Amino acid sequence: MRPNALVGFAAFFVGIVYAIQAFHLPKAMLGNPWAPVYFPIGLGVLMAALGLLLIVLEAKKGLRNLEGVKRPKFQASSLKLIFGAAGLCVLYALLFERVGFIPSTLVFLGALLFLINGSKAWKLNAVVTLGFTFGAWYVFVRLFQINLP
Amino acid sequence: MDVFNHLMQGFAVALTPLNLVWLIGGSILGTILGMLPGLGPSTGIALLLPMTFGMRPDTALIAMCAIYYGAMFGGSRSSILLNVPGDGAAVASCFDGYPMARNGQAEAALAISAIASFIGGLIATIAFVFVALPVARFALRFGPPEYFCLMVFALAATAAISKEALLKGVIALVLGLMFTTVGLDFQSGVPRFTFGSQELQMGIDFVVVIIGIYGISEVFVNLEHIAQQVVRPVQTKFGRIWISMAQWKRSIWPILRQTPVGFFVGVLPGAGATIAALMAYNNEKQISKHPEEFGKGAIEGLAAPEAANNSCSVGAMIPMMTLGVPGSGTTAVMLGALLILGLQPGPLLFEQHPDVAWGVIASMFLGNIACAFINIPLAGLLVRVLAVPPKLLYPLVVVLAFLGVYTINFSLMDFYLLVGLGFVGYLMKKFKVPTAPLILASVVGASMESSFRQSLMLSDGSLGIFFRSGISNTLLVAAVLSLAWPFISDWRARKKRENSVDIPIE
Repeated sequence: MRPNALVGFAAFFVGIVYAIQAFHLPKAMLGNPWAPVYFPIGLGVLMAALGLLLIVLEAKKGLRNLEGVKRPKFQASSLKLIFGAAGLCVLYALLFERVGFIPSTLVFLGALLFLINGSKAWKLNAVVTLGFTFGAWYVFVRLFQINLP
Repeated sequence: MDVFNHLMQGFAVALTPLNLVWLIGGSILGTILGMLPGLGPSTGIALLLPMTFGMRPDTALIAMCAIYYGAMFGGSRSSILLNVPGDGAAVASCFDGYPMARNGQAEAALAISAIASFIGGLIATIAFVFVALPVARFALRFGPPEYFCLMVFALAATAAISKEALLKGVIALVLGLMFTTVGLDFQSGVPRFTFGSQELQMGIDFVVVIIGIYGISEVFVNLEHIAQQVVRPVQTKFGRIWISMAQWKRSIWPILRQTPVGFFVGVLPGAGATIAALMAYNNEKQISKHPEEFGKGAIEGLAAPEAANNSCSVGAMIPMMTLGVPGSGTTAVMLGALLILGLQPGPLLFEQHPDVAWGVIASMFLGNIACAFINIPLAGLLVRVLAVPPKLLYPLVVVLAFLGVYTINFSLMDFYLLVGLGFVGYLMKKFKVPTAPLILASVVGASMESSFRQSLMLSDGSLGIFFRSGISNTLLVAAVLSLAWPFISDWRARKKRENSVDIPIE
């Protein structure tokens, strides 16, 4: 399918779901009860309409006509890196407040460097992880007086 | 005289030791961030935002401006030495900057880009001094309907960059506005789209949106290429970084001609420094007596876009500071930072906080001088940063991004949002959906809705209030025109093609 048509379908879907959710939002107790809902409903409807328009415009060119269209490529190797990094980010979120900034960052940054920079460069990865974690802790906690867990 | 007195007060603020330290520190940081491909001024300022939380508003704004100008100066370093622009605005600097470096003129290329940036920034700052106060005074006439229309215009102009991307730009814009509706509605106290989460009641902070959409998604995009990435050798040893008199004579007029172009493009919402630089490059190529030299290392081809993109970055500060409406992704981040610091940019900034407003303007003069010093004598030292392999750089960017968002609300919800928004940004980039309208919308969305509802309260629910004043009507017409412009220019080009007749040569 043409990439723009996919964007259109995504926009239409998001617009419809958002508009329905907006319609069911609680109403205001004071003043016009619909006041907090008008703007979101308008946005949902507008998004769905824009998505539909994009689909129609793309349909005119033929939804499956890919002549002269550059499709976005998703390679398995790069997706592995991206999802690996995203998974580590979620792990970081789970650990951050439980075990504290320094241990969680050592684990997170270390794992991220091993994933991206490779295990062969383990010495460099370890030095960068230690240096950056303690450096960041010093800058944020000591210099900027920002509390980290 | 009034302006001169204000400016002198501004210099007194900007020259305090603390502000001066941050001005120089920000210029260095900005130059380094600008150099690194993928980390432009908006991402850089967003990532370094937590640093400003403990600062006074004038210091914070001066530091952010310095990062901004530093990034505009630094962006061209990697264009010249690697043929990879540090940020979008430096793309035109690749065209002749890189060939100059290949021809053994890297020193002259580095010097002229900094000199052109300096002159462009300086002239634009002088223009800023004279334009800021009248615009701010005019903006005092704006009520909620006018503000709403102004934001509609700013968003429409940002979304309507090209005919092909127009619909996708408006979709991105609406998505950005949707993000701003999450959380407690501040006028009625109604929770919206919080799904029972207490952490979402405060809404999605636009800094999280910016870092997710710009920063994390950029890391994801770069992870795609990282395995195949060939490390390019970077020249780190230079002779004297300066230009000859002949090169100066060739460059000065292009600089002076294209500085006003960049400034006006900057003042207009949406267009941005990339367009300013490309326009300047094309203008100079068209009027040059030797257009064939462009693309092969013509010094004018480097000087013109550099002057234009720096004057554009100064021009872009005008709507942000005088109207409180950002015209670009970077100024949107700066506006957001000021709101966090409890300062409302706009016409009242010049009345209520003249020390901040004029201190920042004065700092633009000093910042330009600081950036010129950093980018000419220290260029050889700073460009060593370009030798840092991306495989090491991007994991550090991710950690910095997480730390940045955590220090805003101290909420883990922002971590999850960051990852989710990173994916949204990644997909937007893959499907060529512009991200700038989303960023702008996520910053102005809340005040846009607030102006919309205040206007409706004033008019008892009648939408007619948006068509009652001349200012509103002008702004709405401008918004419609900017949305229609890609179609009009396309139609004109087609018409021109149809009217041109091929005359067969006998």
